[in-house]
Amino acid sequence: MSFVEITGLSHRFGRDRGGPVLSDVTLSVRRSEFVAVLGPSGCGKSTLLNVLAGLVSPTEGTVTVGDGTVRIGYVFQAPRLLPWRTARRNVEFGLEQTGASRSAVRERAAAALELVHLAEHADKYPNQLSGGMQQRVALARGLAIEPDLLLMDEPFAALDALTRSYLQEELLSLVRRTDSTTILVTHDIDEALLLADRVVVMTQRPARIASIVDVPFGPERSVASLIADERYPELRTSLRELLRPQVTAAAGPSRAQVTADA
Amino acid sequence: MNRVFRPARIAISALVLLFLWWLGSQFYADYIFPSVPSVWSAFTSAVSRGVWMEMVGDTLLHTLSAAGVILLIGLPLGIVIGRSRIAEDLSRVWLVFLQTVPTVVLIAIALIFIGANTTAVVTVTVASGLTYFMLSVVQGTRAIDRDLVEMAKAYHAGESVIMRAVLLPAVVPYVLAGARIMLGVAWQVTLFAEYLVGSAGVGFQISSAIKLLDTSGVFMWGLSIVAFTLLFEYGMFRPVEAYLTRHTRRS
Ligand SMILES: Nc1ncnc2c1ncn2[C@@H]1O[C@H](COP(=O)(O)OP(=O)(O)OP(=O)(O)O)[C@@H](O)[C@H]1O
Ligand SMILES: [Mg+2]
Repeated sequence: MSFVEITGLSHRFGRDRGGPVLSDVTLSVRRSEFVAVLGPSGCGKSTLLNVLAGLVSPTEGTVTVGDGTVRIGYVFQAPRLLPWRTARRNVEFGLEQTGASRSAVRERAAAALELVHLAEHADKYPNQLSGGMQQRVALARGLAIEPDLLLMDEPFAALDALTRSYLQEELLSLVRRTDSTTILVTHDIDEALLLADRVVVMTQRPARIASIVDVPFGPERSVASLIADERYPELRTSLRELLRPQVTAAAGPSRAQVTADA
Repeated sequence: MNRVFRPARIAISALVLLFLWWLGSQFYADYIFPSVPSVWSAFTSAVSRGVWMEMVGDTLLHTLSAAGVILLIGLPLGIVIGRSRIAEDLSRVWLVFLQTVPTVVLIAIALIFIGANTTAVVTVTVASGLTYFMLSVVQGTRAIDRDLVEMAKAYHAGESVIMRAVLLPAVVPYVLAGARIMLGVAWQVTLFAEYLVGSAGVGFQISSAIKLLDTSGVFMWGLSIVAFTLLFEYGMFRPVEAYLTRHTRRS
C-alpha cells in the first residue's frame, strides 16, 4: 500500500509563458520509504515538493498523502526562518502547530537543536547565524515535529563537507529509527545513493520522470560501506549518464548561439 | 570609549546653543530677542496661572486624538491598499490630493464647513497626517515575505497564527516608523491650525502672544512643544522600537 500517490501530475504557472513545469508525473512512495529526486536546475523539483505540501494546487492530476491528515515537515531550499524569533523559537514554531503541550514543545525543540549541533546558539536570532547554521535550524524545525512525511529541498547544499556528511548520517539513522517517509531533492548523486531507497531522475523542464533507479544497498549503510561495494561506482556512473544528456541538451543551443555570434 | 563621550558631546552642543541664545539676547531688546530668564519667568507665570497646563492639555488632546483617529483609519486602509490593486487604484487620487493640498487650504475649508472649533483642528490634522502613516503601512504590507507565509502554511498554521506570528511582526517596524513621522507632522499641523482657527491650544496662545509683542511667551510655548516632542521620541518611540526590533541587532 503506497503512502504518497502522485497520478498524472502536470503543472503550469499562471502567467508563465515558459510552458508547463511538470508534465504527467506519476509516482508512488511506500510508507517509510526514502526517495531521492535528482534533476537539472529549474526543472520543477521544488514545485513538486510544493504540490506535495499542499502549497501549490496542480493544474492537472492528483496527489494524495496518507489519509490527508498527515504531519508534514518541509525543509525548504532557503531556510525561511522568522527573523523575529530566536533559533529555538523558530524550531518551536513547527511544534506549536502540532498541538503538543508547552513542555513537550520546549523539550523536542531542544533535542532537535542538539541533533543539528546548535544547542549553544539556540537563543540567537537568524541574522546572528551563518547561512549554514540557519539551514540547520530549518532542518531542526522539520525534524522536530517527527513528521509522517518529510520533504527536503537540497537541505545540505549550503553546508561545508564535514557538517554535511555528519548530518547525512544523522538523518540516515533518524529516518531508519522512525517510520518517516522522506522525499529528498538533491543535486548530489552520492547523497542520493547514501540516503535513498529509490532515486527518481527527472528530465529537463517540463519535468517528466526519466528513470527510477532502485538502490540495492541495505538499511545499514555508511559512506565507508558504499565505497567498499562494487555496485556503487556502476550506479554512480549510470545516474550520471541519466543526468548528462539533458545537461548537454541544455548547453547545446546556447553554445551554438555563441559560435553564431562569434 | 565612544559610549562615554557621546553624552558629553551632546551636552556640549546644548550648552553652545544656550550660550548663543544668551549672547543674542544681549544685543536685542527683550520683546525682540528675549533672554533666558525672561522666558523662564514667562513659563513659571503661565504655570502658576494654570494657563500652561490648560493650553498644553488642549494641544495634546488635539494632536493625540488626531493621531488616534489616523491609527484607527490608517492601519486597516493601509493593509487593504497594500494587498489589493483595486483598492490602490481607487485610493490613488485621494492620497495624492491629501499629500499635495496646502495645509492652509485645508484649514480654510475646515473653517468654512466645520467652524472655528476643536473639531476643525482635529480634522485638519487627521487630513494632513493620514497619508504619512498610511503609505508606511502600505509599504510594510507589500514587504511581507510570502515565503514565510508559505512556510507557516506548510506547517499547518491557522489564519490567526499566521496573523500573529508572521504578518504582524513583519508590519510592526513600518507601523512604528509611520507613526513617528505622522506624530511629528501632527504636532506641526495642530499648532498651525490652532494658530489660524484661534479657539484653544498652544498655537492659539502663540498667536495672542505675538499680537501683544510677548516674544518671551512665543519662545516659552515653542520650547514647551519641543520638550513634548522629545518626550514622545525618547520616552516612547525609542524604547518601543528598540524592543520590537531587537532581532535586527548583531551582538
Ligand atoms: N511562482 C512561480 N511562478 C512562475 N514560475 C515559477 C514559479 N515558481 C517556479 N517557477 C518556474 O518553474 C520552474 C521550476 O521551478 P522549481 O523551483 O520547481 O525548479 P527546481 O527544479 O527546484 O530548480 P532548482 O534545482 O534550481 O532549485 C522554473 O523554470 C521557474 O522559473
Ligand atoms: Mg528548487
